[in-house]
Order: sequence, then structure tokens, then C-alpha cells
Amino acid sequence: MSTAMNFGTKSFQPRPPDKGSFPLDHLGECKSFKDKFMKCLYDNRFENALCRNESKEYLECRMERKLMLQEPLEKLGFGDLIGGKSEAKK
Amino acid sequence: MLVQGVMGGLWHPGWRGVAFCGWRWIHPGSPARAAERVEPFLRPAWSGTGGAERGLRWLGTWKHCSLPARHPALQPPRRPKSSDPFTRAHVEEWRRRNKTTLTYVAAVAVAMLGASYAAVPLYRLYCQTTGLGGSAVAGHASDQIENMVPVKDRILKISFNADVHASLQWNFRPQQTEIYVVPGETALAFYRAKNPTDKPVIGISTYNVVPFEAGQYFNKIQCFCFEEQRLNPQEEVDMPVFFYIDPEFAEDPRMINVDLITLSYTFFEAKEGHTLPVPGYN
Repeated sequence: MSTAMNFGTKSFQPRPPDKGSFPLDHLGECKSFKDKFMKCLYDNRFENALCRNESKEYLECRMERKLMLQEPLEKLGFGDLIGGKSEAKK
Repeated sequence: MLVQGVMGGLWHPGWRGVAFCGWRWIHPGSPARAAERVEPFLRPAWSGTGGAERGLRWLGTWKHCSLPARHPALQPPRRPKSSDPFTRAHVEEWRRRNKTTLTYVAAVAVAMLGASYAAVPLYRLYCQTTGLGGSAVAGHASDQIENMVPVKDRILKISFNADVHASLQWNFRPQQTEIYVVPGETALAFYRAKNPTDKPVIGISTYNVVPFEAGQYFNKIQCFCFEEQRLNPQEEVDMPVFFYIDPEFAEDPRMINVDLITLSYTFFEAKEGHTLPVPGYN
């Protein structure tokens, strides 16, 4: 961790997340979406680009269940997926 | 006669330095006048190899000849204090000038001390505006995400690591060992934590990114760190991390060989009065 006493070198400065902390999903409300996402990752050899739809769906689940603040999807980097949403959605 | 003998004996070229002092000593009563100093060199008995010029050049070294055996009658009489050039007015003037100088010097010293105290907030302000040293540059994040373009030809492997402090009895592990992203693309990753004990435990986490320079490009949109997370007995939760790598990563020449970034989370137990060094959050 950044508890080193070395004054000469730069130490790592952890930064807080931009939108804060995710509240914990104690009730497992979005667990199914998470499982879908994880399965997609395993199938595609952990390439994130191929599983962005599933991640978008997970975040949408969280937003619906008030486990995450409502944000327009463009602000979360899913702008390109919104246009083709109706086609790509399973 | 004695005088003549001494003169002759001392007038050896090798004894030039001593001779000249001796010469002065030999003629008591007569003040050291320039003419008398020059005269011995112009004599034919001077067997020096240079003649008068050399002698005159050497005349300049007369000053270095210390005269331990000064005849008291030869010394110039001390001038009386009344005609002393350093009169009282002068002394007062100097004292006043010294005081002014001292005041100026003291003012400069105090100013320097003040400047060293003022440097701390000024430097912080400078860092914030220029964003040097990885400090947070205000107000760029959410607009940037909207407009950022993924750099598709630079694939990075993000590997995940999970650690737990010894006193925390959670089972904390990542749900995927690695993920392949490109800069400019938002990505989601999961960790899992389980509380196997029979008591609710509150944990708080922090993170670390290796390599160090890549850490400034690692932006977390949302995660589970720096806030107390409570796990009930026997509860297991999924903890997501939503992040992206800044597209400017691809343009940094120092990152040209970086293909692997490791994100490491560490959970600590949140105890009363025990504060984690959170970075000015909330």
C-alpha cells in the first residue's frame, strides 16, 4: 500500500471514484444480470468489448432497483449501444 | 667604518631582501625618503645583472619587507585624535546606515519566512490548476466519458487481485482473473466477498494500481472502495467495479510498453476511531 516512508519516490495516491461507491446488493436483486455478464466473459475469453451489452444491462438493473444513481447511459460510456439497443438486446 | 663594513658585507646580491632592510637600519635618523631608497641601485657597486630597471622593479617589493627592527625614531608620529578623519559625525552616520541596512536585512528574512509558509497553499493551487503529480483536476470526468473514443488497436489486460487484512475474516476474491479492455472503453468487473463469521462485520477498502504511472490513467466511475461496507453473518455479496482507462494512455510515450495493469483491492476492518487514509472523499 502507499504507507511507505520513502520520501524521494512518488507514492500512489488513490483517488475516490467519480460517482461514488456502489451500495451493496444485499438482496441479490441483480444477481442474474451479473451471472449473465460473467458467463459472457467466460465464453468470450474475458474480452470486455464483446460483453458490453451485458454490463449495460447490469447497470440498468441497478439503477432500477435504486442501487445506483440514475445516469443517462451516454455518461457511462454506452452511447454507441443505445442506438442499436433494440437490435442487440436479447 | 663599521657602517661601511656592514654595507659592503650585506651588499651581496643574494642577500637582497635583507640588505635593503639593513640599509635602512644602518642610517638612523634619516626618514625613509624615496630618493634614498633609489640611490643604492644607481650605484656602480650594484652588481646586479639588470641594472637600474631591475632595481626599480624590485623597489616595488620594498613594501613586503617586514621590518621587525624598526627604529622608534624612524616611525611616523601618530596623528592626534582631533585631526582624525573618523570624526564623530562620520561615526554617527555609519551607525545610522548600519541600522538601516540591518532593518532591510531583517525585513528580507521575515519575508522569506513568510514566503515559505505561503508556498504550501500556493503549490496546492498550482497543482490543481495544472493537474501535475496526478492530483485531481476538477470537473473533467463525466463530460469526458461521454465523448471519449475507444482506442481499439491498443488492447490492455487488466488483472485483478484481492487482499484482506489479517484481522478481517472475510473471503474476498475477484470473480474474474483478468479482463481485456481498450483505452476509452468502460468496463465492469466483479469481486465477491463473504462473511463466514456469525457477527456482522464492517469493512472498508482501498485500492492500488500497478504500474504506478499507469495508475493516473485508471479512472473508476464507481466502485465499492473508501466507504464502509457492512456484511451480515454468512452473507455473500457481489461487488462491482466500473472503470475505464483514459484514452490519453495510448498517447503517453512512457506507457508504450505497458500491456498489463493490475488492480488490487485490500479490505480492512473498520473499527471505531480507526481511520483509513481516504483521499478527501465526501
